[in-house]
Amino acid sequence: MPIIEVEGLSKTYRVFRKKEGLLGSLRGLYRREYNEVKAVSGISFSIEPGEMVAFLGPNGAGKTTTLKMLSGLIQPTAGKATVLGHVPWLREDAYRRRFALVMGQKNQLWWDLPAADSFQLHREIYSIPKDRFDRTLGELTELLGVEKLTRQAVRELSLGERMKMELIAALLHGPRVLLLDEPTIGLDVVAQVAIQKCLRDYHESRGVTMLLTSHYMRDVEALCDRVIVITRGTLVHDGPLAGIVERFGESKLVRLQFVGEPPDHAELSRYGEVSKLEGPSAAIRVERHRVAEALADVLNRHALADVSVEAPPLEEVIAKVFEEARPAHDAA
Amino acid sequence: MVAGVARYARMLAGLARYTLAREMAFRGNFLVKVSVELLWMGILVAFYKTVFAKTSTIAGWSEPDYFFFVGCFFAINGVIETFFLDNCNEFAELVRTGDLDFLLLRPIDEQFLVSCRKMDWGTAPNLLMGAILMGIALAQKGWTFDPARASAFVVAFACGVAIAYSFMMMLTSVSVWMVRNQSLMEMWWLFSSLVRYPREIFSGRGAETIGRFFTFVVPILLVSNVPADVMVRVLDPWMVAWTVVVAGASLWVSRRFFHVALRSYRSASS
Amino acid sequence: MTPPDAALPLPAPPRPGPIRALVKYARIFRVALIERMTYRGDFLLGTVLRFLPILTTILLWRAIYEGSGQTELGGFNYREMVAYLLLTNISRMFSSMPGLASGIAREIRDGTLKRYLIQPLDLLGYLLSARVAHKFAYIMMSFLPYAGLFYACRGYFDGFPDATQMLAYAASLILAFAVGFYFEACVGMVGFWFLEVTSILYIVMTLNFFISGHMLPLDLLPQPWSGLLKVLPFQYMAYFPAVVFQGKVRGGELLFHLALELFWAVAFAVLARTLYRAGLRRYSAFGG
Repeated sequence: MPIIEVEGLSKTYRVFRKKEGLLGSLRGLYRREYNEVKAVSGISFSIEPGEMVAFLGPNGAGKTTTLKMLSGLIQPTAGKATVLGHVPWLREDAYRRRFALVMGQKNQLWWDLPAADSFQLHREIYSIPKDRFDRTLGELTELLGVEKLTRQAVRELSLGERMKMELIAALLHGPRVLLLDEPTIGLDVVAQVAIQKCLRDYHESRGVTMLLTSHYMRDVEALCDRVIVITRGTLVHDGPLAGIVERFGESKLVRLQFVGEPPDHAELSRYGEVSKLEGPSAAIRVERHRVAEALADVLNRHALADVSVEAPPLEEVIAKVFEEARPAHDAA
Repeated sequence: MVAGVARYARMLAGLARYTLAREMAFRGNFLVKVSVELLWMGILVAFYKTVFAKTSTIAGWSEPDYFFFVGCFFAINGVIETFFLDNCNEFAELVRTGDLDFLLLRPIDEQFLVSCRKMDWGTAPNLLMGAILMGIALAQKGWTFDPARASAFVVAFACGVAIAYSFMMMLTSVSVWMVRNQSLMEMWWLFSSLVRYPREIFSGRGAETIGRFFTFVVPILLVSNVPADVMVRVLDPWMVAWTVVVAGASLWVSRRFFHVALRSYRSASS
Repeated sequence: MTPPDAALPLPAPPRPGPIRALVKYARIFRVALIERMTYRGDFLLGTVLRFLPILTTILLWRAIYEGSGQTELGGFNYREMVAYLLLTNISRMFSSMPGLASGIAREIRDGTLKRYLIQPLDLLGYLLSARVAHKFAYIMMSFLPYAGLFYACRGYFDGFPDATQMLAYAASLILAFAVGFYFEACVGMVGFWFLEVTSILYIVMTLNFFISGHMLPLDLLPQPWSGLLKVLPFQYMAYFPAVVFQGKVRGGELLFHLALELFWAVAFAVLARTLYRAGLRRYSAFGG
């Protein structure tokens, strides 16, 4: 029995088209034109209890909109969804007591008060029994190493510490479903790892179901075993993470600037997938463990003016590949 | 039901405690707020003292009666400002930034959280100031205690607060559709100008119709008029009954309106 | 608000000529104007609500005159009183500066003021052109409703005053804008020394509501109050333009008060600039 079921979920926004110039804006006072923007169009998937699923896709693909519909913040234009047997946008208390949404870019704690005070308020709002509250809070603060910071005003905390507090606030009531939108955005690697560890431990001990969007492949690798890829509001891939990471997560983008005539396409293809070959410059996607070997080989054979090795923005690469593959898939 | 009320009362007390803690962290601010309110009361008194130096009645209200009315308005407005005004004022900003998300996620009534989230302790003394002014006015009038009038006053006062709150909630809800709406504080100031004067000033050609419109159709005039009326002028049971009905109905309508507005909320993502 | 850099895509040369500077501020003006027009629903609701206090004020004063049984209070008969109160709304339309002082104080507190130090853009000049745009749009948009209001209330007026008086009225309004702008700018500049400016501002504005003559003509107050308030700058933000229109101030007295109004405008302008300079020195010394 799936814990999250989504069928044909769509969200269309009506956006006021602002006209250019002074005259346009004057006219806008009396007559307005609107554009229809499809943020999400007909997404379907289902998630079993205890799964940890990543939502990937470029900016504006509709990930956050989907999460917001699942948390009941906005109403879909069409389609159905149930989470824990509830229709999210009815916002029943019974549902809201059993899930949590964490947004990395926003804070829900009271800025001028110590986090502990916000936690107490949560206890009231969620009606958490005192003993359970104390126990959970103790566990979480220890897990995240912030026992000493809960009495400090939130505005005095660092971004990483604040995010940990946000996470604690979201987990205090023991949600069965956890929706995370960019939980580690802007954090340093140490804080990222701490948050990943906390989420993993929490998942192991409570078997919570998690749905996460992130720009960091590391989050996805550390936490999820299934990936849903969304581009332009449609679902383009739903499957295990393993294959995807092998295909894209382990590659680097090697940019080469040759002196004089570059080698031909066939020769470069031996190192990896050639993504660009123009004049003296080329870009090749090379598997991580083969980068050193490939570079040495190229240097042996050719004179190079410049070399750079970059990590491609993975989720965008993934989305792009799936998007490119889609017309072919649709035709088949 | 009882457990629910107790839970919300507990939560309100908790919220009041935390806002007080915060307010005390910025004590200077708090003191300034209180002094602004005192100043405003002083200006009102100076204004009506100036006016009553030239006349003995305004629309049939004698000086002490009129000052009782002013005190009553001040107290009702104090309650509104302490509990709701700041929260409603922030609502537009919550919609604009999308921070309303967090209030909607809580397993608790959205309207409660939106309108009672923070308490503005700086305006809490207004209730006291209004009460003092009412007390002085009653003493000058030589008012003798009358349990019927006093209890009718309490009922009408509570209903006045409820009606004012409902109208404010509706003005607040509108900001879902009009993102970046000008300060609700200002709108409320303009709208509540209807509450600031006795209903009897709506007399004569045309004005009487407007007065009836704001008594029976958009019954905002009941807010401070009925409590002041029952206390120092006529105790009209029908008017009190009408006020109770209106309070209930306006609470219901404003709640529906708020929920309709929430359905249009887009949750801006930044 | 659009930050100034959005309106100025190109870096200006180090010493712009007067024409360039004018073009620059004209562009800011245009952007601010377009921005204002976008929020029409807000604007309409605001305009409708704005008429309620006018209505209740007229009714209140009618009740006061009826109660007193007199035809004149403080030299104003009922019709003149209503006309006066309507006219103070016009004065306030020019002299009120919502959000000006608190905006300056916020820029100081948040450190966003730095952009005026980096860009070749003067804070007061920028704020002035933005404010003129805001006022212009506001007055343009309220023209029709106000024209309707004054037409509906034409019974309270005795026609238009003669050309000289109209000229004096226009001058008093423009000066009212200048006094209002520079006075609030001064209050905002206090933010360099005192963080909680908004609270002082509340006190000042609350008091101003009464002592500018917005609530009632200063002549109704007993001496020495009315005499004192007529020397202070606040009366120019509401009382003075209204009585100029009504022809209650004439001849030498009119000239004297116009000169005094100009004096206050210049005095506040100089004070604002001095405070700004001193504040900036302090600001850069402490690193914001």
